[in-house]
Amino acid sequence: MRRATFIIIYFLAGLLYGQPALAERMVTDLSRHIIEITSEFSGTQLLIFGAIERDVLMDDGARGIVIEGMDYDVIVVVQSSRHDMVVRRKEQIGPIWANRDSVTLKNVPGYYAVTSTRPLNQILGKQDLKILEAGIENLAIDFAKPMSPTEGKAYRDGFIRNMKAKNLYNQQEGTVSVLDDILFRAILEFPANMPVGEYKVDVHLIRNGELLLSEQSPLEVGKAGLERIIYNFAHIYPASYGIMAIIVALFAGWLGGFLSRKMSG
Amino acid sequence: MQTYLPIAEVSINIFLLLLMGGGVGFLSGMFGVGGGFLMTPVLMFVGVPPAVSVATVANQITAASVSGALAHARRGGIDYKMGGVMIIGGLVGSYFGSMIFTILRSTGQVDLMISLAYVLFLGGIGGLMFVESVRSILRNRRGDKPKVGRRHRTWVDALPFKMKFKTSKLYVSALMPISIGALVGVLTAVMGVGGGFIMVPAMIYLLNMPIKVVIGTSLFQITFVTASVTFLHSVNTQTVDVMLALILLIGAVIGAQLGAKVGLKLKGEQLRILLAILVLTVCSKMALDLVVTPDELYSVTPAGLIH
Repeated sequence: MRRATFIIIYFLAGLLYGQPALAERMVTDLSRHIIEITSEFSGTQLLIFGAIERDVLMDDGARGIVIEGMDYDVIVVVQSSRHDMVVRRKEQIGPIWANRDSVTLKNVPGYYAVTSTRPLNQILGKQDLKILEAGIENLAIDFAKPMSPTEGKAYRDGFIRNMKAKNLYNQQEGTVSVLDDILFRAILEFPANMPVGEYKVDVHLIRNGELLLSEQSPLEVGKAGLERIIYNFAHIYPASYGIMAIIVALFAGWLGGFLSRKMSG
Repeated sequence: MQTYLPIAEVSINIFLLLLMGGGVGFLSGMFGVGGGFLMTPVLMFVGVPPAVSVATVANQITAASVSGALAHARRGGIDYKMGGVMIIGGLVGSYFGSMIFTILRSTGQVDLMISLAYVLFLGGIGGLMFVESVRSILRNRRGDKPKVGRRHRTWVDALPFKMKFKTSKLYVSALMPISIGALVGVLTAVMGVGGGFIMVPAMIYLLNMPIKVVIGTSLFQITFVTASVTFLHSVNTQTVDVMLALILLIGAVIGAQLGAKVGLKLKGEQLRILLAILVLTVCSKMALDLVVTPDELYSVTPAGLIH
């Protein structure tokens, strides 16, 4: 919402004065737009980089570039496509710990990472962070059934602890580096168990607590090569896959027996 | 060298997997057991999801048992009629087992059920084996001879639907092998074991089958029932990881060869005591995991596992 308002205001301002609408321009890109999960895949890194071009109006109405005194902040948010997830809680039943209650979380990302130039709460106000869903604690999480605030918080915290432990959710404040107030770069880590699908990479440019610009780049994560063939086969033609698995096993078992008989005798 | 497993969706060192396959294969060669009851828990310990472990090990056992079954077939060690009757029971059992598995998976109870089944069966079998082999060692020390003689008539002989089994020279109710087969089928589907550790004693003590056809017939049955479980889990839960099964198999084939050689050098009772201790160790590790307060009470799974 807020972003749209910004754009409209700048656009109108541009129309009125007949000048380029934006005071800043930002170009961003990713080191790659497709991550392929192959048999050697054990997690990967993604480089997100970009340039800020400043085009600031001078006092006399002329346009010039000011190098000093401009503190830009960058927040990078990467998230996978959203799905429903089930969170279960163990309780002690007799001597045994077993899953008892559960709740479904609606539309949560399977992977979420945020990184920024400084601690998030020094960059933007709480309200803005919530709108951008910047920061794990600002992620909107809805439950499929009504929950009391304490229960809701317990499940939410449990969910986030799980995702962090699997390295699927992470937050690194202060690791985006900005060079000469022009170039920025951020490196994000993806674990081997990252979900496949369409990802979104959002880069937000902020100055003095005000959101100036947001850029979004797509990122595709998919299984490739043999992993892709096996995975798709298993999920699209499960019956044929089962029969294939049996045939492979029978053949491998026969071959194993045949070879060991040859070798031992 | 990390390798990404397409169905398990985890990345594990391929040498670790080969080593695990080899280790379990070594033990199974040494003790003459299938090894599923060790392979499934070990896979779970290294981070393969329990459901994938169970289904994949069933697939791997198909491969391991077919070569054994072929070897026994060559020297006439299979009672095909008895095996066939047990397979019928096994197919029905595996169907129900797979259904139970699918339902429990969708309600989040499958891990608990797998652990409980392991604790129960491993504890029972391991305990019995331990007591039995300690007794027989003590008996040998005292110089007693084990009692030999024809089995007494029991409730088994009173069952209806009797059938003739020529190879085993038996005339028993078909209900007996059918229900043994069915029980093993359920266990294969929910625990990822071949079930030889239940079937072999049942065939010897309950059916009174001649020893020379027991192992062959049980391997014959296991080949078919694990194949059926592989198929059912592929269709119902898509949890069979062919790549993982093949890697484990390579290790297991090599390990089994070495294990069989070492096994020949050890005495029967010593071997059984070692196996009993091994079984009880796996059992207590799983039992401990059930009762110790977990570090994390919450767990997350994607919604809509059922298709």
